[in-house]
Amino acid sequence: MLEDAQLTGTSAPTKVPAVSTANLTRRFGELVAVNDVNLCVAPGQFFGFLGPNGAGKSTTIKMLTGLLAPTSGRIEILGLDFAERTSEVKRQIGVVPEGLALFGRLTGAEYLTFVGRMYGLDRETTAKRSAELLEFMQLANEPRKLVTDYSHGMQKKLALAAAVIHGPKILFLDEPFEGVDAIAAGTLKSMLQRMTARGATIFLTSHVLEIVERLCSHVAIIDRGVLVAQGSLEELRAGVESQVPVAAEAGSTGKLTLEEIFLHTVGGARSAEQELSWLG
Amino acid sequence: MAIASVRWQIFLHSLRSKRGAVELFSRVVIGAVITGGGLGGAILLGVGAWYFVSQGKPEALALLLWPVFLFWQMFPLMATALSESIDSTNLLRFPLSYRTYVMVRLVYGALDPATVLGTFWLVGILLGIGWARPGLIPWAFIVLLVFAAVNMMLTQMIFAWVERWLGQRRTREIFAVLFFLAMISLQLIGPMLSRYGDRSNAAFHWAGHFANPIQAVLPPGIAAGALASKAAAHIALAFGLLGALVLYAVVILRILSVRLRAQFRGENLSEVVDRGKDEVSRPGVRLAWKIPGLSQEAAAVVEKEFRYLSRSGPVLLTFVTPIVMLFVFGLGGRSGGAGFLQNWPELGLPVGAAYALLLLTNLIYNNFGPDAGGIQFFLVSPASFRGVMLGKNVAHMGVLAAELLALWIGVCLLFRPPTASALLITLSGLLFAAPVNLAAGNLLSLYSPKKTEFGTFGRQRASQTTVLASFAIQGVVFGVAAIVLLIARSYQRQWLAVVGFCVLAALAFVVYFFVLGSVDRLARRRREVLTTELCK
Repeated sequence: MLEDAQLTGTSAPTKVPAVSTANLTRRFGELVAVNDVNLCVAPGQFFGFLGPNGAGKSTTIKMLTGLLAPTSGRIEILGLDFAERTSEVKRQIGVVPEGLALFGRLTGAEYLTFVGRMYGLDRETTAKRSAELLEFMQLANEPRKLVTDYSHGMQKKLALAAAVIHGPKILFLDEPFEGVDAIAAGTLKSMLQRMTARGATIFLTSHVLEIVERLCSHVAIIDRGVLVAQGSLEELRAGVESQVPVAAEAGSTGKLTLEEIFLHTVGGARSAEQELSWLG
Repeated sequence: MAIASVRWQIFLHSLRSKRGAVELFSRVVIGAVITGGGLGGAILLGVGAWYFVSQGKPEALALLLWPVFLFWQMFPLMATALSESIDSTNLLRFPLSYRTYVMVRLVYGALDPATVLGTFWLVGILLGIGWARPGLIPWAFIVLLVFAAVNMMLTQMIFAWVERWLGQRRTREIFAVLFFLAMISLQLIGPMLSRYGDRSNAAFHWAGHFANPIQAVLPPGIAAGALASKAAAHIALAFGLLGALVLYAVVILRILSVRLRAQFRGENLSEVVDRGKDEVSRPGVRLAWKIPGLSQEAAAVVEKEFRYLSRSGPVLLTFVTPIVMLFVFGLGGRSGGAGFLQNWPELGLPVGAAYALLLLTNLIYNNFGPDAGGIQFFLVSPASFRGVMLGKNVAHMGVLAAELLALWIGVCLLFRPPTASALLITLSGLLFAAPVNLAAGNLLSLYSPKKTEFGTFGRQRASQTTVLASFAIQGVVFGVAAIVLLIARSYQRQWLAVVGFCVLAALAFVVYFFVLGSVDRLARRRREVLTTELCK
C-alpha cells in the first residue's frame, strides 16, 4: 500500500497559493510565447491548464518547473520565490515533463531507486517506496526489463511513479494522458485522485478535455501566449453562458461541456465546409 | 534525393544559431586536418607506389595496400567520436524500398573519415602507379575502385555485426568470451617467440613463408596481385584476381545485407529477457549503493553510470582497446628484432594509460550525451549539478583506474613488471592529465552537448566542436608532458618528472575544482541548449 506521506508529503493546510505567477513572460526572439501570465492555483486544487497547440502551455509548465528561464516575471511555489529558492522549491514538487525525463538503460526499479536517492531519501525508504510504486503501477512483473524497452504507457506510469516517490506537495504533469491506453490512464487517474484527496495540488496540461472535465476542479485557458480564462469549471461555464444563450451551444444535457467552453473561449470552432476534397 | 535535400535543409537551419556556426567552423577545421592527413598520406603512398612499380616490383604494392586496409577497418572502431552510422529507425518511417535503403546506408557510410582518408590514399597509389607506368592507369583504377568498395562495405559489415553481437546481454557474453580467448591465444605468441629467440630470423622467415600465401588471398594481397599480374602481362591471372576481389565484395555485401535486411524489417536490439524467466526470478528492489566519502547524489550517479556502462557493448569494447593495443605493439614490428614495446617495455604502461585516457574522453567530454532526455530530470530535481558531475567524474575515473590495473597486469605478463619510476611517472602524469580533461569535459558537456546512443555501435559521435576542442586540449596536455619528460631526461633525474607532474597536478586540481564549483550556475544558464540538444 502507498503511504499517505508518500503521495502528498506533509500536507499541512496553508493560505498561500500553491502556484502563482506575476507577469510571467517568455520570448523566443521576436516571438512572445507566454505574455504577462498571472496564474493562481490554490493548494489542493486539481488544476487543468488548457490551450490549443502552440498556445504556450508547455512553455509555461517548463518555466514553472525550472526547465526554462522566464524572460521576465515572477514565479512563486508554495510562497517561495522559484528564482531565489530553487532547490527548496524543487524538493516540494514532482514533475512529469513532456519528454518524461527517463534514463532508458536502467530498469524500472533502478530508475526509481536513482530518483529516490537524488531527492535525498535514505536507502531503505527508497527501496520500500520503489517496490510499492512498481506494484501499484503494475510494473513489477518484468523487473529486468530496461526502461527503453517499456511501452509508452509503461513509461508514463514509471515517470509518474518517479515524480511522486519523494511525496511532493505539487505535481506538474505535461500531457500525462497522451498516448496512454485506457488501462494505464485508469491507473494514472487513480493515483492522481488519491493525491488530491490527501491535499496535494495537481497542475496538468492536456488535450483530452473529457478527462480534464472529469478530474479538474479549476481550469485556465491560454491562447497565443495570453491567459484568456481562469477559474472553476462553473465560473468558466457561467462566463460563456452570459455571452451566448445556452441552447445555442450546449449539447443534449443543456449544460456546456468543457470542450464547448474551450472552443468558445479560443474561437476555435472549425467550419464543416473547410475541405480537403482530395482526401476522398 | 529527398534525403540529401532534407540533410541540406537541416544543415542550413543549424547555421541559424551561434552554436551551429561554431559547429560548422569545427567541422571545417577537422575537415582540413583530415584533408591534410589524406594529402600527406597520398603523397607518401604515391611515391611508394611509383618506386615499387618503376623498380619492377609491383607485387610489393601489397605493402602499401595492407596499411590502408587496416587503417580503414580499425580507425572507425578506435575513433568512434569521428564515426557515425545512420540510425535506420529514422529511415524506416518512409516508404523506401529495400534497395534504396541499402543504397542510403552505403552512401552514408562513404562519408566516414576513414573512407575519405582511404580514398585519398588509394588515389595517391593510383597516381604513383600511373606515374611509373601510365598504361596501367585504367586497370589500376578498376582494381583500386573495387578494393575501395570492399573496404567500405567491410567496415559497415563489421560495424553492423559487432553492433548485433554487443546489442544483447547473451550475445555480448559470447562475444566477450571469444574476445578473451583470442587475447589468450595472442598471449601465447610472445612466449613462443621468446622460446625461439635465438632462431628468430629463421622463425620469421618461416612465418613469412606461412603468412605470405595467407595475405595473398585477402583483399589487399589480391588487389596487389591483380596489379602485378597486369604489369607482367598475365592478363588471365589479372582478370581472375580482379574477379576474386569482386567476389569478396559480393560476399561482404551479402553478409552485410543479412543485417541490413533485419534492420529494414524493424529489428529491435533490446535487452528484453524472456518474460516467463523474468517473472520466475523476480527480485525485490535492491538497496542503492553507498560509497564512503561521496554525497548521496554523487553516489547515486556513480551507480547509475556503472549500470549504463556495463550495458553498453560498444563502450565496453572501447575500454578493452588499450589492452589490445598493448598486444599489437608488443608483437608488431619485429623484423628480425623485438617489437616497439619489446624494445622499450617501460613505455608499455604510460602509453597504454595515455591511450586509455584518450579513449575515455569520448565519455568525459559529453557527460550528458547518454542520458539524453534524462537531462530533464537533473534540471527539475533538487540535485546539484556539482554532485551530478562529481558522480560522473568519479565513475569515469573508476573505469580509468580499472583499466590501469588491467594494463599493469598486461605489461607484467607480456613484458616485465614496470619499474617503480615508470609507475610513478605514469601515475603522476595521469594525476595531471585527468583533472585537466575532466575540467574541460565538464565545460564541454554543458557547452556542446550531443545526444548519444550507448546501446548502438557508431552512434556515440560527439559534436565537432567537442572533437576539435579535444584535439587542442590533448595537444597541450601531451606537449606539456613531453616538456616535463625532456627536462627530466636532460638532467638524467627521473624523479624530476614526478615532481614536475605533481606540481602540474596541483594546478590542474585547482582548475578542476573551480570548474566543478561553477557547473550549477553554468547548467542553469545552459539549460535550454541542454534540453534542446539532448531531448531531440
